[in-house]
Amino acid sequence: MASTENVLEIRDLVKDFPGVRAVDNVSFDIKRNTVHCLVGENGAGKTTLIKILTGACERTSGKTLLNGEEFEPHGPRDARQRGVSTLYQELNVVDTLTVEDNLTLGLEDTTVGFIRKTDKINDMISVMNDIEPSIHPKQKVSTLSVAQKQIVEIAKAAASGSEVIIMDEPTAAITEGEIERLFSIIQNLREQNVTVIYISHRLDEIFEIGDYVTVLRDGRHIDTKPLSEVNGRSELIKMMIGRTIFEEYTPKDEAEQEVILEVNNLTNKKLRDISFNVHKGEIVGFYGLVGAGKTELARAIYGADQAEGEILFKGKKLGASPDKAIAAGIALVPEERRTQGLFTILNIRNNVPVMNMGKIAKNGFISSSEEKKAANEYVEKLSIATDSIEKQISKLSGGNQQKIVLSKCLFADADLLMLDEPTRGVDVGAKSEIYSIIRQLAEEGRSITIFSSELPEIMNICDTIHLLFDGHLKASLKNGEDVDSEEILHIVTGGE
Amino acid sequence: MNQMTPSEENMNMENMALQQSQSEKIRAIIKRYYIYFVLALVVAVFSVVRLDEVEWFARGHFLNPNNIINLLRIAVPIMTVAGAFTFLMIAEYIDLSIGSALSLAGVVFAWMILNGFSFLPAFLVTMFVGLIMGTINGFLVIRLNITPVIATLITLSLYKGIALLIVPAGFSGIKSIGEQKMPAWINNYAREDVIFGLPMAFFLAIVVIVVLVVAQRKTLLGKYSAAIGGNATAAELSGINRIKVVWILYIIVAVSAALAGIARASFMSMGDPLTGDGMELWVIIAVMLGGTRFSGGEGNVEKTVIAALIIIVITVGMLTVIPAYWQTFALGAVLLIAVVINHQLVGDT
Amino acid sequence: MATTEQGQTQKPSISSRIGDEMYIVLLMIGVLVFLVVAAALFIDGFFQGQTLVNLVTNNWYIVIIGIGVTFLLITGNFDLSTGGVIAMTGVLAVYFSQAANVSQNELANGLGLPYGVAVILALLCAMGIGALNAFFVVRLKVPSIIVTLGTMMVARGIAQVVTQGAQRNTSLPDVFGIIGNAQIPNTTIKYSVVVMIVLIIIAFIFERKTVQGRRTYFIGANSAASRLSGVNVTRHLTFLFILSSLLAGITGLLLASEFKAGVSSRAMGYEFDALVVSLLGGVSIAGGFGSVLGMFVGALILSTVQSAATGLLLSPDWQFTLKAVAVFFAILAQSYVLKRRQG
Repeated sequence: MASTENVLEIRDLVKDFPGVRAVDNVSFDIKRNTVHCLVGENGAGKTTLIKILTGACERTSGKTLLNGEEFEPHGPRDARQRGVSTLYQELNVVDTLTVEDNLTLGLEDTTVGFIRKTDKINDMISVMNDIEPSIHPKQKVSTLSVAQKQIVEIAKAAASGSEVIIMDEPTAAITEGEIERLFSIIQNLREQNVTVIYISHRLDEIFEIGDYVTVLRDGRHIDTKPLSEVNGRSELIKMMIGRTIFEEYTPKDEAEQEVILEVNNLTNKKLRDISFNVHKGEIVGFYGLVGAGKTELARAIYGADQAEGEILFKGKKLGASPDKAIAAGIALVPEERRTQGLFTILNIRNNVPVMNMGKIAKNGFISSSEEKKAANEYVEKLSIATDSIEKQISKLSGGNQQKIVLSKCLFADADLLMLDEPTRGVDVGAKSEIYSIIRQLAEEGRSITIFSSELPEIMNICDTIHLLFDGHLKASLKNGEDVDSEEILHIVTGGE
Repeated sequence: MNQMTPSEENMNMENMALQQSQSEKIRAIIKRYYIYFVLALVVAVFSVVRLDEVEWFARGHFLNPNNIINLLRIAVPIMTVAGAFTFLMIAEYIDLSIGSALSLAGVVFAWMILNGFSFLPAFLVTMFVGLIMGTINGFLVIRLNITPVIATLITLSLYKGIALLIVPAGFSGIKSIGEQKMPAWINNYAREDVIFGLPMAFFLAIVVIVVLVVAQRKTLLGKYSAAIGGNATAAELSGINRIKVVWILYIIVAVSAALAGIARASFMSMGDPLTGDGMELWVIIAVMLGGTRFSGGEGNVEKTVIAALIIIVITVGMLTVIPAYWQTFALGAVLLIAVVINHQLVGDT
Repeated sequence: MATTEQGQTQKPSISSRIGDEMYIVLLMIGVLVFLVVAAALFIDGFFQGQTLVNLVTNNWYIVIIGIGVTFLLITGNFDLSTGGVIAMTGVLAVYFSQAANVSQNELANGLGLPYGVAVILALLCAMGIGALNAFFVVRLKVPSIIVTLGTMMVARGIAQVVTQGAQRNTSLPDVFGIIGNAQIPNTTIKYSVVVMIVLIIIAFIFERKTVQGRRTYFIGANSAASRLSGVNVTRHLTFLFILSSLLAGITGLLLASEFKAGVSSRAMGYEFDALVVSLLGGVSIAGGFGSVLGMFVGALILSTVQSAATGLLLSPDWQFTLKAVAVFFAILAQSYVLKRRQG
């Protein structure tokens, strides 16, 4: 087989994490000078695959070939030097430098340390200006919009000789007009000997810009084919979902209870006029893919971020900070447990009671027996694997860490529990346990809102489901037998 | 979708970018040149105010040649160190040991002169000591990963301690001791008139300042410092060796402190182990007034250097107007004001 | 580590039951004992009752301000203003208490306020400095090292202005000299030392056992998670800065009383010593780790080193090098020990 046709070949790639196989014997080819799209639900393995490809993560086994030769970069820098660049959502530009400086960063021609303005630099600038004439090379990058910063990164990658540019959700933070511009840039790149790997949830975009598409599901390669041979969104969606059977959801037959949370016209940088209600004892799910605004919504309600609009909790206006929300009876399990949810250098005993210290203290004095009791109680309740509550959080596995975060919030005795990606990085057994805890809380009369990008999770336990896309609440439905998961995926990928 | 034709759309975008550039341009101009306005203002104030009408004053008009030479002589070493310090702060690192480094350098230099060495060997050895101090600082911060503040507070104490120990007991510094006399030519470097009444030390320092200003604007060192301070991850991804760059910066700072120490020892005819105490304060004020950002990535050697000059002018000017015992308060107040100004200029997220 | 086969959690061993912080404290106590023994062996007369008592009492003022400094370090902040606040509070207390209009000499005239009022007013001024610190650090987000450098000078500057660069020590009511000079009956130990002991005990209980004290650790360990877990970070940091200045103010009062004078050059370098003893005691600037008990042991170590240096007839100039070296090795040793312990 002529390997000059393929710029990248992936053979039997496997990546195992403790307890889960994230990439399961994936094999496919990426043809040179094409726009090759990668789709799949969250947890399908796209990000891990890319991390392995760029050396940010070590593979368990398998081969990757670049231009027919073995390609196992030591890290993103090495990958970039060998021709494979990645554009992440966290932009890797230096805001305080000019566009020109960013383009040439690390690539300067020098005489005795003095930076020379050579033809190479002028070439790079003209590449940049061809793509986007409105960007002045002497502009400071901090004055550019997100779309423009992206373009600077693309120009840098292209002008420094990258053969493959990987774009991870590039349209999540830019406007429609800017998306059009990005697409014409991508098309130009293709004509200039660059292959683009395009990862996105927005299926309309895939059809607009892509030549080929690869679908992953549960770490496995489902199919790779030219987009011209794909029968519209529904075929892609079918491949993405497969024939996953959701756990039985039993609808509640009780009469609707009182409203506990009322959100009206919530708007901020990301959110667009969102309104909904949560009832007592109800489990409400918010489903959407990357960039939909789930975390922003959770944080806005919690008071962690600012937003306009009205939030009424138990009939009263909610204060605009987390401590006020907690005092009113809301608890949040944040999206990133290590940076937002846990005190990793402290131990289990310290972490568990933090959101409700009053419960283990009398007159401001902590009772160590109560503290230990609380920690032990939750270690047992959530089956957290540890031989001591004195164990440092950083030493626990991801799944157990998530259980600690959950314990913190359960300990807060909240009337409304908000969970942002509650089972991310948690094994199947623990997931089940968490779901039954959630159901039980609802039976006790507490309310739960779950913000998740895992459809089975949402379908499993939520009574009401709201669908988010690009900061909008697009649709709401009651969970039940006649829910069409394909229709749901259609909406959260931008369909109407 | 847009109804405009592609060319119209292009023009629109260009207009927007240009307009953005215009208001941005005005802001940029203010940011770039304000420091000169301030300098002019300060000099004007001190010149115009008839200081001999003020009770404590007795020195005549501010802008007389003697005063100016005096000012420049005091200011230039500090300007040099402040310039080097700016680099470090741009990369988001700090060095609090500069005062002690200056003192130790002065002590070493004076000691060598006192013990019979000629100027050049003494000069070179002292500069080498500066190199070593910078290496130690860099080692603690970059290799041992000790927080810069604590690491350089430790070395502040260490260098000061060593300087004190070199000076024989009972003496305030390295100077004429009994039979051993400090040669009078030690003054030449910092006092002997070369041109316009200014000494060699002055010109050497000016050269260094110019080198630093140019280096920041035009060399890799300047650009990489800003990259490291602005977005360390992006810098790393682009292949910049953070360890090497930051270590070099620490050495440059220490060496410029050593140069300043030589100038001072030469001027005072002695190596005073405590002379540099508090210099870090001046430098920090200068760096802040010069619009350097605490969180790194942004800063300008030229502006810091001018700011350092302004501070010295203000302080010397104040010396003639307010009693000595107001100085500490004034200095503290100036620092806090500089903090507020800095916050307005490059206000942090 | 997995649970046992029966699914029971194993009883933790003694060594793992002691938290890392106390482990480091024990380590430093070990270092202290070693130093004391070494000093006793090599220096005549070291191992005497009085010398040993002095080890505890010599640095009482550093320990008191060390409490505030330690708490702030745990949250990742510095407070260099403490020395200046000590001087300022002492001077102001004297100035407020000095009798008014009794002399031609300006420095002998004060505001003539009643002693109690003078003291409270002076302490309020100290807390004002703390509030200023909090404003810059918490609201304007300026690095605390720079802010407190400035407020240190402002505070000391106030002391210098009020004393015209010297001191105020006349026209004071007799009551002024009581608290700083009172001694425990039948000993030469001043009550200031008792104050130190009481404050350390309170501070230790505060940090270990109270909800409020625990917040310091949460903020130091992860400021973002603290906020999301309901800790009012702004409020707590403001509290700590004001507390630190208050403690410095109290120290200033005691010292001014002891010497019956408000001296503008008092407490030079104390802020550095406070930092030194906190670091010796195991505080990690990386945040969330440290204890005032460790700081106290650090102060004992400092006293030992200082006494030994005097005993060995070293000039006071040695202190700078000794402190630098001591802190350096303490930091290295502590991080090495912790890494090994956490395996």
